[in-house]
Amino acid sequence: MMSRRTLLKALGVAGGAVAAGALSGCAGPTGGPPPGSVTLGLNRSLVSLDNKLNQFDAAVTVQRAVRQGLTRIGPDLAPIPVLADRFELTAPTQWTVRLREDVRYSDGTPLEIADIETALAMYQQVSGSYLAAFFPEWPAVVPIDERTFTLETNRPLPVLDYLMANVLITPAAANVPEELQSGVGSGPYTVTASNRGTGDYTLRRNENYWADRPRVDQVQVRFMPEESNRVVALRSGEIDIIDTISPDSAEQLRGLADIQIDHVKGTRLNQLFYNFRKPEDHPLSRASVRQALSFAVDGRRLAEDILAGSVEAARGPVAETLNGSVVCGEYTYDPRRAKQMLEAEGIADGDLNLTLIWETGEFASDTTVMEAVVQMLGDVGVSVRLRQFEPGGDISEWRQGRGGDWDILGNGYASPVGAALPILQGMYGGTPERERTRDTYHGYVNPEVVALLDEAYAEVDPDRRQVITAELQQVVWDSWPSMWAFVPNSVLAYRTRISDVGLEPTNSYELARIGLEA
Amino acid sequence: MIRYVLTRLGQSVLVVMLTVSTVFVLIRMAPGDPATAFAAPNATTEDLAEIRTQLGLDGSIPSQYLTFLGQLFTGDLGTSYSFRAPAFEVVLDRVPYTITLALAAILLTALIALPLGIWMASRADTTRETGANIATVAAQSMPEFWSGIMLLTVFSVLIPVLPSSGFTTWGGLVLPAVTVALLQIALISRLVRREMVTNLTSPYLTVARAHGFGERRLVWGYALGNSIIPVLTALGTRFAAMLNGVVVVEVVFAWPGVGSLVVRALETRDYPLIQATVLVTAALAILVQLLIDLVYPLLDPRVRLGKATAR
Repeated sequence: MMSRRTLLKALGVAGGAVAAGALSGCAGPTGGPPPGSVTLGLNRSLVSLDNKLNQFDAAVTVQRAVRQGLTRIGPDLAPIPVLADRFELTAPTQWTVRLREDVRYSDGTPLEIADIETALAMYQQVSGSYLAAFFPEWPAVVPIDERTFTLETNRPLPVLDYLMANVLITPAAANVPEELQSGVGSGPYTVTASNRGTGDYTLRRNENYWADRPRVDQVQVRFMPEESNRVVALRSGEIDIIDTISPDSAEQLRGLADIQIDHVKGTRLNQLFYNFRKPEDHPLSRASVRQALSFAVDGRRLAEDILAGSVEAARGPVAETLNGSVVCGEYTYDPRRAKQMLEAEGIADGDLNLTLIWETGEFASDTTVMEAVVQMLGDVGVSVRLRQFEPGGDISEWRQGRGGDWDILGNGYASPVGAALPILQGMYGGTPERERTRDTYHGYVNPEVVALLDEAYAEVDPDRRQVITAELQQVVWDSWPSMWAFVPNSVLAYRTRISDVGLEPTNSYELARIGLEA
Repeated sequence: MIRYVLTRLGQSVLVVMLTVSTVFVLIRMAPGDPATAFAAPNATTEDLAEIRTQLGLDGSIPSQYLTFLGQLFTGDLGTSYSFRAPAFEVVLDRVPYTITLALAAILLTALIALPLGIWMASRADTTRETGANIATVAAQSMPEFWSGIMLLTVFSVLIPVLPSSGFTTWGGLVLPAVTVALLQIALISRLVRREMVTNLTSPYLTVARAHGFGERRLVWGYALGNSIIPVLTALGTRFAAMLNGVVVVEVVFAWPGVGSLVVRALETRDYPLIQATVLVTAALAILVQLLIDLVYPLLDPRVRLGKATAR
């Protein structure tokens, strides 16, 4: 049996060993990327290298470096060919696709039409998928020859080339109806190490990549949920690129010699959306009241003072960057007019008491924005009660009108498809049938909008479709769905040793393109 | 001895089961719906209902509990909703990081707090001890998030000699371990001081002094030995607590341990992950306590495990 003296000695030796380890750490490197390597600090854990369920901005950059789609949403938000070298509308309900010649996965196996068919089947079988909601119907794959096939739908689906950019292709035999955490892809990088628990991944250049050789040998991906961690790690050189940064962090990094900050107009729309499930006699059921409240909001102050110029007020019901979007009007600050309009509607000071709900972290500085709105509406005699929900809490119940009553919701709508039409469908395409299960976007049901959406989807002539889409947006805008809405910039910060990042409006970039300064 | 260990192991299993069962019920009574956290924001009611069925959340709490128990006895702790992987594996991925941090912090604590406490006790109530007293009270009063941020600012930003986050090199262990240890050093050194002062002024040491024993021998040979059990108990308890995750420090330093995992699991209402984390960390904590109990007789021969002690 060990004696007391021996035990104390052992403890001392173990302590010394740890201290020595710590000291050797002091003398070693400070955790920066190894030579020829780039380290990304992601704000969300990359739980998979697939996107069947969710699609987070930062994850897209890495997922596309491993798996690719037939097309991808390019820098101008139009689809550009990737695995397909031809993707054309050849009949109202038919797209003809030709696979690029000699595309091989990283394990050397060739890309086949069966892989596309399987991918579509697997995406359909996942419940609650973010992307599936953008597909009014799933196309059927009809092979023509070894490389060519058609995508057939029952009704015209004129934005299929946009939608297919989000379907990532995997060898059929390895695909399953769930997010894939490993496996091969056709992308410029392959995964050589991963730890799902910590969210760390190591990617190596795919030496058999079918297109231009990636310029960086190795990419390390680290999960760093706290923004302050990412900012400090970037400043100290431990990581090279961070995305989705708040105005405050951008301010901290601005002007530092070895840090570059890129801004691009984004595609996400953040908004203070009205509750359209109010009874008919409720003031918010009148578009004029909704519009009057908009006049009470000083959007310039919110955008410039609180959000530090990192956003732009929306001028239509979807982000202006999306293909097919049009300018419909502007949010104007005019509190006198707000009061006059409210009085004209028979609403005096103190008559209107509203509840504003939102989930923490919905957008940067969300709480400060909400508090400012309380003050602005207070100035026109409207009181606002704030109710903030923690992530993962009951806000979904409330949004569906099952948790409690509310009047305004602070939230956002991401637009990964690059085109206005699917986003308009997702937000404003509510029908009485969908409302029965509370699956409309906060009760927004407008028969005129639904009719125009149907007409736009059925129209195969692009110019004519754009005319309808523009009219549709004006109808939505005139119904004043939001008290105020804004489009945040995509912001990326990186060390100047990284070149050619090329941030895109979708808040992603091509990993294969970036380089390292000598 | 063997009977004692077996009895304690049996009790430990019972404690772990009670803990996990309590957590099982409490998380299901808390607000939030894992299906909404799992699904996309635009998921339909039908989608959510389907996901609830897939996740086994459509039954009553007792039926879910029975299913859980059935799976538990086959070693299946369920699949994490947010990681889409076996919850047990996800937790095990994180456990080494937590153990490393806890071990480093507790050894650092022992290395500094023991000599410091002894030094303070041997100079108890003197002017020289005042400085050490002030330092320990200050360290005890500093919240970990504050001391962590200060250390990070100095050693990672102003003088960038240590990594600010993660565990990519051994250097990454230094700042989080020091942050965790600061508070523990203050607590343990004060405990050592108190125990040592009590022992150094006890009659048996007065007798020993009268017999001409040197002060060094009295301190290190006698007083320390009799003070060590409460100190070791405190160290063991602090270590066990750290195994449950040093949440604040892990967040400040982006340390990929169990603490930050728990935060994430709670945010996403990831029931299997919460249960797996509680199970693993509770088992580890109880195991540490058991080991400490087994060490007692080595430190004090008067302690006899499994029998009534005669002190």
